[in-house]
Formats: sequence, structure tokens, C-alpha cells
Amino acid sequence: MVREKWTDILPRYMTFISHMRPILRETRRIILNLDPDLLLDIEVLDKIRQEEEKRNIRKVRALSEFSAMYRTNVYEIIKDFIVKYREDIPIIDIKDYIVEFLYESIDALKVLQNITNPDQRNIENTYLFQLVKFIEQTIFSRGSSIQIIYENLLKNSANYYECQRHLLMPHTYYREKLENPDFFVIPGLSPKVYQIINNITSLYNLDPNFGEFPEKENYEIPMVLKNEIFSAYIDSIANPEEEAIESLAERIGLRILDGIFLSPQQETVDIFLKNNFFRESKQSDGTIRLIPQFSNETLILYYLAFASMRRGFLSKELINWISMNFAFLIYMGILKWKLTDENIFYSIFKDLQTNEKVLPYLMKLACFPNYLGLDKMKIRDSPQYRKEIFNFIGSQIDNLKDFINEIAIYCKKIEKERKNK
Amino acid sequence: MSEQQDPTWKELQQEFIKGVEKAIEQVNERDVENIPGAREALLQRLNNMRIHFPNNNGAIFLKSIDDKIQNAFFPNTKDFTEAFQKILKSRTHEQDFIINELLNGFVTSKAKAIAMGTQGPIIDRMVEAFSKRNDFHIVDHQFFAMFGDPNKPRHYIQKQLEELVNLFGLISKELVIEKDKRRSEKKVYTFYTFPPAILKILEEKYLIIDDELGYAYVSEAFDRNIFICMFLANVAINRDDLEKIGGSYTINGISAIFALILILGFMPKLSIDETNPILRDPSFDNQNMSVIPKSWMLKQVLEPLFEPLIKIIAYRIGGGLWLSKIIGSEINKKIHTQIRFLLRDVNKWILGNLCRVEIPIFVEIANIFTEITVGTDTE
Repeated sequence: MVREKWTDILPRYMTFISHMRPILRETRRIILNLDPDLLLDIEVLDKIRQEEEKRNIRKVRALSEFSAMYRTNVYEIIKDFIVKYREDIPIIDIKDYIVEFLYESIDALKVLQNITNPDQRNIENTYLFQLVKFIEQTIFSRGSSIQIIYENLLKNSANYYECQRHLLMPHTYYREKLENPDFFVIPGLSPKVYQIINNITSLYNLDPNFGEFPEKENYEIPMVLKNEIFSAYIDSIANPEEEAIESLAERIGLRILDGIFLSPQQETVDIFLKNNFFRESKQSDGTIRLIPQFSNETLILYYLAFASMRRGFLSKELINWISMNFAFLIYMGILKWKLTDENIFYSIFKDLQTNEKVLPYLMKLACFPNYLGLDKMKIRDSPQYRKEIFNFIGSQIDNLKDFINEIAIYCKKIEKERKNK
Repeated sequence: MSEQQDPTWKELQQEFIKGVEKAIEQVNERDVENIPGAREALLQRLNNMRIHFPNNNGAIFLKSIDDKIQNAFFPNTKDFTEAFQKILKSRTHEQDFIINELLNGFVTSKAKAIAMGTQGPIIDRMVEAFSKRNDFHIVDHQFFAMFGDPNKPRHYIQKQLEELVNLFGLISKELVIEKDKRRSEKKVYTFYTFPPAILKILEEKYLIIDDELGYAYVSEAFDRNIFICMFLANVAINRDDLEKIGGSYTINGISAIFALILILGFMPKLSIDETNPILRDPSFDNQNMSVIPKSWMLKQVLEPLFEPLIKIIAYRIGGGLWLSKIIGSEINKKIHTQIRFLLRDVNKWILGNLCRVEIPIFVEIANIFTEITVGTDTE
């Protein structure tokens, strides 16, 4: 039976972190006690590491293997650093640098280890809770209605639109179906669907038709021909999208009218009017025509707001992608806060082998009801799958880096508030 | 034959002028603009094009294509390193974004087989693969592990990787292991990297060589545009060898992309009333953006301009050989429709208006146009 309670996942998350920290502390102690001149001889470090390996008494094979790998990486990085700078920097300074970098790394691990607590006491004060809420507020807002969520997302889109869009586009979209037998399931945005949404935006802005607003007399809403959206696609390459147009339309606040037109839903009209994406224009016959003036984010943010509102019905791929991004942002935000950019151990933290020991559990923790409220049972445990999605962690977009900086600043703020209490 | 007497060149120009006349008719027929004066500005620009483009044997085309576009993206040389260096030098952040969007779609569809039948960001994966090692090589089995489909045989992706390697002009080295540890069998690893002369250029900014440790890391600046520069350089130097550059698909694609750049460069700059909400939108950058007249984007206006422009580009950069691959080509028709969408992808919609991001190549082409029209007016 799968064990997915908080008290099952948290210890798993802690396991590897609690093995990393002692290794770094031990290494720091050894380096501190070592005569700087001995550092010049690289073999000394090798011998120390071999001695340390002998002290390994762990019974679990996976853990002892990981510890050995981790320790080897740490020592290799230290050796490389010494070799690289021993001609240019006095060895005593090199030693100070190493110790300083180790201090920073241990500090980062300390925060990661204490990111929350086993009984979720005072969760509002934990880093995990505060960071999840901070990120959620910016790129995956909650709210009691689509309108509230949409406006919140739009407010943050000036700075973080690319992150918001990124959150909606899983790199494993090819595993998804546009339409699910279970009607409610919401998949992520594939590049082709994204392109289709761009087409819809263009058609609305350039040359829309106008028709009666079914729910409001004397009003005309813009409409585009369904066929026109797909006219650019030849050789049936967008057939699945064309067949699923009704579901797609619902996700971006549109609907099919008279079987051929794509037009906004009633609720969407209110949201778009309020945010200047429609402007009213009085016609000579007295009717009021709603003229579209969409932006790049108009329909995409609706999709995101829709997904956030119905977060209980997200597809497996989308849940894995969203929670992975949250875990990654929290992890990188903490590292950015604690580690200076020059820290030589950054590469270990960013290594796929370290990532896959920390992030999967962080993903699950972030999904619990008090946090993101996503179905954590849909998070895949397969190592191959993890590799597949974690591979994309490196392909960062600039906007994501800006957001990580912002999260690091927020971490400092949390710390300051804690100290003031 | 001198260009003055070149009948093909003359014919192509005439075709373009006919296209401009058709576009003028269309703009006159329909008014879809919501910015006062936009339609008039566009009509004036189209009329100027009709009058000035045929002057001096098509001087505007000659300067825009032969000088600007060729220098920045498609150097007229046979030397790969020189071509790569020139393209790399013309990079700017904004230009990168647009060229990227234009070319990425094209390269991705070209390499679609390796993207596992999906529309995966193939160039990003190449960047990823190089960034993960400290010797600036990628190896076939690593590539398979990162991007392969476990349900398909390994040789499938290896073959596709080879195709990709050719597309970018990478070089390969083989490492033969007589007995591998697991099965005691002979094993051949194929490593791929950049040619040595390119490595030298990359060392300036994109590659960090650690002589002491023997490592080669990529720097933060190393990104997908390095591959795009390699791709362009590779096509540029092999422009006469159709097989090497992927046949008429590449020719049609490249010509269409450059035609699009030219079209965007010719676009008139609109002045907007200071009360227009677009100016208050946080995503609008008044310094680096300009609003595109809506009619410019209409299919009925764009098509008559685009068709002859693709041929002009093909003829200028690849001569009769390239032109013959455009005329009547099915691929051309397909790319045609795709490119109309690309046009919208590389620009930004803000409150119902498509805004052009001012990148150097657009500004340079616009300047040539202004320079020549003003020059002619003075005469």
C-alpha cells in the first residue's frame, strides 16, 4: 500500500538532507583543523577522504552509496578549487574560502531540514508554508471565483507573465490527451494549443465578426469562425485540437455558438470588460458592441485561472509539472538566499543526483491540502520519469531566475520577521 | 550578366510592385484600424514602396538584403568560421528573441524526428546536454539517456542525432573501448563537439576553459542561439550544395523567414495619441516598441506582398538555383501559411494592437528605406 501521509513523506524528505549536513560539517571541521600548507598536497585530501569512508557504518545500501558519492563530490570540488587557485591566492585564504563556502552550504541545508515540522505545528510560520503561499500568490493564485484569481494573476503578470505561462506548459505534454474520458480533467498547454490560442488572439484583434450577446439584450459580442482558426494547418496536423475545440474553448473562457463561432462566455465578458480587454462602442442602431483588444496574456491567464480554480481536476502531467516547479523554486530560492554566487558547492546542490533525492518529496509536501491542495497521489515515483522532468530544470528562463531572486529576498524577510518576534 | 540587364531580377521586382498595388487596393477597400491616421500612414508607406522600390535597379532591396540581412544572418563566404563569427557578432538580446522564435520553429520541425514525434524544444535539449558535462562534448548514449524513448530502439535516436549534428555542423570523434566493464565487449562511443576554430571563438564569452584541471564548462551566456548561429552559418556556406543543407525545405524556410524580417523592417511607425491606454500598459515599452497598423497583418494585404518577396530573397541569396526551388513548390505554400502565424508570435499583442519590438535589423532596414526615399525626393 502506498504510504502518503504527511508523517510518511516528511521523514523521506529528511533522510538524504540529514545525511548531507553531517558530511559537510565533518569536512568543515577537518579543513579547519588542517594546517593550510597541507592543503597544498592534494593527496592529503584523498587520504582523509579514504579514512572518512572507512568510518561509514550505515546499514542501508542506498544511503551509504549516496553518502560516499556525496563525500567524493565534496572533496573533488575542494581539490579542484585548490588546484585552480593555489598559484594566485595564498593558501591560507583558500582555506578560509573553503570554510566559508562550507558554512554557507551547511546553513542552506539547515533551512532545508527545518523547512517544516512533523506535526505541522504553527504551519503559518514555517518556511514551506510561507514560500508555497508566496509563490502561489504570484503565479497560481487562489480565490473564490475565476474573476478574483484572474485579476490577481494579471496584477503579477507585468513582472512574471513568463513564469505564469511556464507553469502551464508541462514539457511532458505529449503524454496528455486533449480530451479525457473524464470530462473535467484539465491538461497542460501544449505548444500547438499555445499556438492556437495565439491564433485566436490574433483573429479577435484583427478582424472579428459580431453577433448578438445571448444573455444580454442590445449587446453584441465579438466572434471568430472556428474554421478560420485552423485554416493555417494543413495535412491534418491540428485535427485533434479541432475535434477538442469545445473543451479547449471552455479552458480559455470561450464557447461555441451556432456550431461555427467561437465567442466569449458571459462570465468572461465581465472579466474582460473590467480589465480593458473589451471596450464598449455604441453603434448607430443603439446596440453596444464589445470590441476586443486582447493582449498576449488575456486568454493564457484565463487558462491558468481556470486551472487554479479547478485544481482538484488537473491532469497527472500538469500536477507533476506544477509541483515540480514549486519545489524547484523553493529549493533554488533558499539556495540563492544562503549561498553566495561564487560558492563552489552550488554545483552539488544543482546536481541531478542531489535533486532527485530532495525534490520529489518536496513536491509531495507542497501538494498537501494546507499548501497547494493538489492530488499528490498523481505524483509519479518512477526514477525514469523524474529524470525526464528534472532534465528541464536546467532550461531556465530568465524570468524564472528573476523570480528566484525575489523568493530569496522574501526568505530574508521571513527570517527578519522571525528574529523580531 | 550585369544586374542592370538581368531579366529575372527585373521580373521579380515587377511582380513585387504588382503585389504592392494589390495590397493598396485591399487597404483602400477595408478599414480595420482603430488608431487615427494608421490607415493613411500605411497607404502612404505602400505608395512610397511602389514608387521607390524599382529605382536604381531595386537599390532598397540590394542594400537591405545584400548588405544588411546577409551580413547579419547569412554571410556570403565559404568559410564556416568567418560566417559563424559574423552571425554571432550581430547578436543582441532582443534580436536573439525574434530570430530565435523564427528559426526555432523551423529547426524544430526539421529535426522533428528526434523530438520523439513531438514538438519538443530540441535546441534547448542540445544546450542542456552540453551544459551537463565538463568537457564540452556530448556523447550519443548520454543523449539517448536524456531524450530517448525507452520504447524505441537506441539506434533510432543515434541516427537522428547524427542528422542533427549535420544540421548544426558539429564534428564527431570516436572512442573505442576494447572491453567494456559490464559485458567485456567492444564498445564504440561517439562524442560530438564544435569544430576547433569555433571553439576558439566561443572561448571569448561562451566557454570557460580550465587549463589547470582540463575542464571546459559552458558559461551562463551559452544558449540556444549558439546553435542557431551554427545552423545559419552552415546553411550560408553550403548554399550551393542543396543536399548538404536539407534541400528545398531549407531554402523555402530561410527565404520565408528573411522575407518576414524584411516586411517587418518596411513597416511604417505609427504615432499614437498620448491618451491611448496602450501607452499606460506595463508591457508596452515606448522606447523600443512601435504599433503595427492592423491592416498590415491582414491576410489579404500580407499575401500579395509576401509571395514575391520570398522569391526576391531566394534570388538574392541563392541565385537562380534557389529561385527555382521556390517557384511552384508545395513546401512554399505550406510555409506561407505558417509564417503568417510566426509574424504574430514574434511580436507582442498589447490591448488589441500588435507591437513590433525594435531590433537592430528592423531599424537598419527602415533606415535604408528612409534614406533612399528622402534621397530621391531631394533629387
